[in-house]
Amino acid sequence: MNIFKKEMKANITSLIIWCCAQVFIIYAGMMKYQGFIDSHVDMSKLMAGFPKEIMVIFGVGSSIDLTNVAGFYSVFFLYFMLLAAVHAIMFGAVAVSREERDHCADFLYAKPIRRFQVIMPKLIAGVISILIFNMVTFGASVFFISLHNNGDGMFNQVSLTMLALFILQLFFLALGAMFGAVFKNTKLATSVSGAFILGFFLISVAVDLYDKLTFLKIFTPFKYFEGSTLMLDNQLSFTSAVILLIVSVIFFALTFFAFNRRDLKT
Amino acid sequence: MNVIEINQLTKYYGKHRGIENVTFSVEEGEIFGFIGPNGAGKSTTIRALLSLIHPTSGSATIFGKDCIKYGSELRRDIGYLPSEVFYYEHMKVLEVLKYSASFYDDVDYTRIQTLADVMDLDLTKRIDDLSYGNKKKVGIIQGLLHEPKLIILDEPTGGLDPLMQQNFFDLIRTENKKGATVLFSSHILSEVQKLCGRVAIIKDGTIVKIENIRDMQKHNYKKFTLEYKGVIDVHHFNLDGITNLTLEENTLHFLFKGDINRIIERLQGQALLNFLVEEPSLEEIFMHYYQKED
Repeated sequence: MNIFKKEMKANITSLIIWCCAQVFIIYAGMMKYQGFIDSHVDMSKLMAGFPKEIMVIFGVGSSIDLTNVAGFYSVFFLYFMLLAAVHAIMFGAVAVSREERDHCADFLYAKPIRRFQVIMPKLIAGVISILIFNMVTFGASVFFISLHNNGDGMFNQVSLTMLALFILQLFFLALGAMFGAVFKNTKLATSVSGAFILGFFLISVAVDLYDKLTFLKIFTPFKYFEGSTLMLDNQLSFTSAVILLIVSVIFFALTFFAFNRRDLKT
Repeated sequence: MNVIEINQLTKYYGKHRGIENVTFSVEEGEIFGFIGPNGAGKSTTIRALLSLIHPTSGSATIFGKDCIKYGSELRRDIGYLPSEVFYYEHMKVLEVLKYSASFYDDVDYTRIQTLADVMDLDLTKRIDDLSYGNKKKVGIIQGLLHEPKLIILDEPTGGLDPLMQQNFFDLIRTENKKGATVLFSSHILSEVQKLCGRVAIIKDGTIVKIENIRDMQKHNYKKFTLEYKGVIDVHHFNLDGITNLTLEENTLHFLFKGDINRIIERLQGQALLNFLVEEPSLEEIFMHYYQKED
């Protein structure tokens, strides 16, 4: 319990900042939607003028009707994924190796506790943090959508989107934790984490741009769920969810295994 | 009974040597010195005892139990002061100590204040505002707070002023009288001599010698430095008990073991600019050990 509290305390400020950023993105994004609608411009025609590469990178590659609030909101999913992924993976990478980074590993691990008794509460703190981040995203989404949708917050579709987001967050938390346990220090773990996010993102863009590369889809978690399917069709890919959850469990297990064998740094 | 038994303990960091075949034991109730220059493997040995690192080969037991297998259980009765004292920077001293205490059962929380008074430590300060010496004090208190049966101190006196060192030694002696066994690592021979009964000397990852302090004091070496005004006649110091004699321009260095009056006699009538008698450094004493082995 003491370690859990300590970990929550260590992360509370950054969590608040992350949540504020997320609320602001949703607020600003939905404001733009109002702008789109009010301008009465034929969006589809306007969009057709942009090169496909640009559209893909901004997450509006497929032919989504942006004048529809659900369609517009579904584009956000890419940004949610990116932000939530960075937040979760960094949390995992830092939490596991925090004491070594701060040179107080000798203090903590000389206490009468097993290594997993340290990692466990840290990971639980991580799960709670990503859940809070998820819930804030959820609340802000329903609130701002309802402002632009005659009071209808699209509760069901947003819930489903958030469930998909949470599964992704869990995956990235597990991946980050594993990096934290495997790599020599926090700096290396966070660098590798950043590289993976970028790599996953580039693969997802490549897949959208070139049909030949569709097979790469399975290598990037950003392609496991599509915002449009979640928001417009109200469907969540069961297979994707199961695969991500299984891989997350494997990563968590590897975290414990690697950390147990680790020679701690002073 | 042996509280610590280390048997052929070896640790390699990749190809880099940590320690090699370290073997010694610490008996119940003794204050055991563990001495060697920086990088000799003192901390590696200690950190393996606490299962912070995993030995490459060999084994170690504490209270008769394997220190890796029963690590968490054994650590209940161990108080440890790391050589590098770092704590959660943004916490206050009292918070760190309470956090530390929260890992043990039945901690007497009034001891925080008692120990802080002895060590003259302000509990309300933030860790990152503390000097190195004050951080050491936090380390000392968190190590002794739960009244451990085995106290492991890794270079505990760095940064402490002489008065505090004295208070600290008194604290350790008190705990020892109450029944605690102490493993005291240091690179300063004189402080080990003050406190310990037996010492293990480690160099380049291997134990060079395990000896009683009393026996060690028998070869009580002194280091002499003489600066002459004129020319030095080295043959003048052709005495039994003089070793490591070196001459640089008009300065003479040597180690001497024996009756110092014999050196004083030789100095009569000499024109000296400077004259130093010092405790030899650990390195110099080690040289003596190596010479004896060769």
